[in-house]
Amino acid sequence: MHTITAVLLKEFKDGRRDRRALMSAFLFPVLAPVLVYFLLTTIIELRTNEEAITIPMVGAENAPELVQWLNERHVTLEAFNGDPEQAVRDQEVELVLIIPEDYQYRLADFETIPLTLVQDGSRTDARQSIVDVRELLHAYNNETAALRLVVRGVSPQLMQVLSIQDQDTASRQERTATALNFIPLYIILSAFVAGMGLAVDTTAGERERKSLEPLLLNPVLRYHIVLGKWLAASLFSASGMLLTLLLCIVAMLQVPLEQIGMDFSITWQQILLMFLGMTPLALLASSLQMLLGMFAKSFKDAQSYIGLLNFLPVLPMLYTMFNPVATQDWMFAIPILGQHLLLVDVLGGTAVPVIAYFLSAGTSLLISVAIAAATAKLMERESILNN
Amino acid sequence: MIEVNQLKKSFGQIKAVDDVSFTARDGQVTGILGPNGAGKSTTLRIIYGLLKQDAGQAYVDGIDIQSQRLQAQQRMGVLPDSHGLYARLSAREHIQYFGQLQQVPGELLEQRTNELIRLLDMENIADRRTEGFSLGERMKVCLCRAMIHEPHNILLDEPTNGLDVMTTRTVREIISELKSRGVTVLFSSHLMHEVNRLCDQIVIISNGKVVSSGTADEIRAAAGDDNLEDAFVKLVEGI
Repeated sequence: MHTITAVLLKEFKDGRRDRRALMSAFLFPVLAPVLVYFLLTTIIELRTNEEAITIPMVGAENAPELVQWLNERHVTLEAFNGDPEQAVRDQEVELVLIIPEDYQYRLADFETIPLTLVQDGSRTDARQSIVDVRELLHAYNNETAALRLVVRGVSPQLMQVLSIQDQDTASRQERTATALNFIPLYIILSAFVAGMGLAVDTTAGERERKSLEPLLLNPVLRYHIVLGKWLAASLFSASGMLLTLLLCIVAMLQVPLEQIGMDFSITWQQILLMFLGMTPLALLASSLQMLLGMFAKSFKDAQSYIGLLNFLPVLPMLYTMFNPVATQDWMFAIPILGQHLLLVDVLGGTAVPVIAYFLSAGTSLLISVAIAAATAKLMERESILNN
Repeated sequence: MIEVNQLKKSFGQIKAVDDVSFTARDGQVTGILGPNGAGKSTTLRIIYGLLKQDAGQAYVDGIDIQSQRLQAQQRMGVLPDSHGLYARLSAREHIQYFGQLQQVPGELLEQRTNELIRLLDMENIADRRTEGFSLGERMKVCLCRAMIHEPHNILLDEPTNGLDVMTTRTVREIISELKSRGVTVLFSSHLMHEVNRLCDQIVIISNGKVVSSGTADEIRAAAGDDNLEDAFVKLVEGI
């Protein structure tokens, strides 16, 4: 026990004095709030701009009432000249609304007026605009029809069997979800970045500077040495990660998220549970880095292997992006994915069952212990001293 | 006391150590002499518990090194072939780290650290980070950390390699001092004059085998040559 502490304290001291490692460990958390703030305000801006709809129109002069109604709803109308079909096909415009010339006659005769919405159904990016325009036209239709009924002494409510209120449109959710995917990615990545310098220094670094042999000459069990080093690297990793998490939360509380219909709040209890669920990720990241570090003979060598490890945090994000299935409890038990889902849910304001925190923590902890044990085994090998 | 009996160690096809036996006694300086690649370092590494022999036994103060590595390592102070230091720790921190790993209790550790710093004349560098230390200064740190637990056996792998005259002298003085305290000193070297001057007993190794052992006089007699260097060459080349 005494020797584990000695190794831990020495490595911690060594790490604290390593400016380069310290920079990379704490630049990440410090940048976190800036990134979150920038990301979220950009989304809010995008979402606010989305309200403004522009409709290219042919024959606007035929339906001045409709034009006025649309203008009152802050819709920009553009007179369109040329071949509407060609323009839509060439993706010059997303859609064109054609008002027939006999609009006024038909209106006067209470005939149905055919409006044409030229569109390209295969264009996914235009779909939202088409839906928006269609909704607007429906609303106008309903309003005008209701007026006609009122004139005839009939309650417009007779026409309204159902009232459907769409609140969220798909694109809104998607954009918010993407943002909420990046923040967890950043936090998980911080666990990998913050402890990396020390994890490499205590393994490949020891070999490179030829200090491993003198160290192993001491009457200390190899797993004590590995444990001390691992805990020191994990301490760095965990403090970097938890600081990033905290700063992200602080930043999210500062951004006017209600403008995009998001409601973010977090309790101290949730924060503590998050710490519990997340901390084993630091142990996992450090143990993986140390295992690879043991194989490497130099710092540079190790960094090229370990750089690849940084792709691991991206995997759960890709998984959740391409498999947008509902989160199930077992998913929390998969290391990294579990923490990713915890972050997505908690930062997204979804309640997470308490068991999820323990599942995330438990499996990551078990796996990291197994990896650290493998590192200790590697340390036992004679060939570890070969340069 | 260090006893080595019919030690064998191969790396793949290469027989690095092939039947090495000798005894290094308390209060004596034993030198292992041999050309580069003769198996000196491998023999020492088996003794200080970093390599496991394929056959034979190695004991430190009667403790079997292979089966009781930790107990054996507590009785040894080693200056290995690698002299790596941690650039961001001071000389004093190095010595104390190794003292802690050897489980020297706090107050005693403080006291011994100061003694060693004085003994090796390191007062001016003790609290400086080791980055930028000269070879001699680095060697002094290595020596201190090998001796912090006052081991009964000291093993030195080519201790004066690359040192300047002043530091070489200091190392020699320390070896004499240790000897007078009754410590077993075992060191390897390929420097004839050094071995001749310091050692009570010399073990000559070539191609993983002991080709001759005894005092300098005995070796000269065995080779039939008055000059130790000539005797060494004769023995090694098997003429």
